[in-house]
Amino acid sequence: MIEEPYRWVEAIANRREYIEAQLAPGSPIAAVGYRDGILFLTVGQTRQKLFEIYDRIAMGAIGHPGDIERLRMAAIELASTEGFTRSAADVSLRRLVHYSLSPVMKSAFEQVYGAPYLARMLFAEVGESPNEDLFLRVEYDGEIATNGGTHAQARQDFAVLSGTRQSRELMEAFLKTQYAPEASFEAALNAALDAWSIGHISLQAGNENGQPERAAVFKHRQEQLATSGIEAAVLERDASTAIRYRSLSDTELRSLIHE
Amino acid sequence: MERSSVAFDQNFSGAADFPALLRRKGLLASAVIPPLPQAGTPQKTWQPTEATTILAFKFSGGVLVAGDRRATAGNTVVYDRADKVLEIDRHSIMAIAGVPATAWEMARVLEHSFQYFRRTQLQEMSVDGKVRALSKLLRDNFGFVIQGIGVVVPIFATYDSHPKPEARLYFYDAMGAQFEAADYAATGSGYPAVRGILYYENNWGRKTLHELSEKEAVSVALRALDTAAESDTATGGVDRSGKIYPVIKIVSREGITTLPESKIAAVFKETVA
Repeated sequence: MIEEPYRWVEAIANRREYIEAQLAPGSPIAAVGYRDGILFLTVGQTRQKLFEIYDRIAMGAIGHPGDIERLRMAAIELASTEGFTRSAADVSLRRLVHYSLSPVMKSAFEQVYGAPYLARMLFAEVGESPNEDLFLRVEYDGEIATNGGTHAQARQDFAVLSGTRQSRELMEAFLKTQYAPEASFEAALNAALDAWSIGHISLQAGNENGQPERAAVFKHRQEQLATSGIEAAVLERDASTAIRYRSLSDTELRSLIHE
Repeated sequence: MERSSVAFDQNFSGAADFPALLRRKGLLASAVIPPLPQAGTPQKTWQPTEATTILAFKFSGGVLVAGDRRATAGNTVVYDRADKVLEIDRHSIMAIAGVPATAWEMARVLEHSFQYFRRTQLQEMSVDGKVRALSKLLRDNFGFVIQGIGVVVPIFATYDSHPKPEARLYFYDAMGAQFEAADYAATGSGYPAVRGILYYENNWGRKTLHELSEKEAVSVALRALDTAAESDTATGGVDRSGKIYPVIKIVSREGITTLPESKIAAVFKETVA
């Protein structure tokens, strides 16, 4: 059935469409670098979406919980064995994603008789300074996007993840203009919340929507925060401790939110 | 992190066990227990504890853990600045007497085990789980002990926040049996002297060990190690000419504090020397 190349391409296209539809309702995650670290944030989820992977590496993910769990376990296993046999400094997010996760996700996606990974992940590795922070977004087909400066794009100290491409692009456009990497934690928190709100509005509005008005973002944010909790975690830049990941409670964040 | 290593493991039964993961990847050798010696062949004997002295006791500010700095091989001093009091996580210390190569590797496995558990299971390992994890490592190492090449006898000190917040102290034998100490623990070749002193202090000293202030506790620890070194050549005690002091760490609710050498030196000068 799949012997013909055309059929294979068709099967892959169908599969892509199916996965995109499955991921579409996934609530956004924003990761923004600031002076003292990297903040991961999402709002209102019952299932945990932000995870510690290794000393300096964190992950946020949307998708099927079973697939997220398998990928998360694989990432932790790889990082832990590398850190154990060599040292924590030898654990590199770039290698973890490029050489280990991405090829596996790609082949699962393209082997049309097997099940693909229904997951989209955002990884970050905190550096000594904001311009050494690394963000990698990994798609279900193994595709990788970085925050690094390429010919088409200036380097940026943030990355986002959302259910749809449009939602993600609106969030990115917002952070690109509204956010400075050397910001304080408070500024990072509020920028991440605004970015989340913009992504969330876009998901709810469905097709064809642009950047919402400032007032609309603010209103949406307030409505959501009135009923939902914030899930957040930081990777701290402070080099005095080995383990940089720390999850933040909703209550310790509320007082820092601009009302 | 070679490519082949991501044959994702579907078997989740041992997912939280880091040593099991290492073994699966061929990164942790299990000690083989040699066959029992046949009648007539001379039986190899092993010393139950190897050179060093480490001690720990509970005082008013938590648990104090101290260790001398000497590493020996037979009657040779190999190193005079060895650190045998190792931080495993924010609230746990493993102090080691025994073969350094095995002990340090064990500490490394333990440290990674606790982190691996927290990351995969999304919760901190319980104190009982941690105590048991070390016990299991010792048990797995027993083949080397029988062969006479890898004896490790550790002390484990930690702070338990559940259900009742308190400092906890354990000592082990080389087979992995764990014993919870109410007041104090000591192992290593200088152990008899130290145990005598701690027993004496706790029962007939001006205060029990539990009531000691930090300064008094440091003083007791230094005196005990100095006494051990007096009769045991494998214990460094305090090197007066080289100004090498024991490593002293304190476990409390706030975490682990390493006492700076200047502070130890001051107490030593005032109450010991």
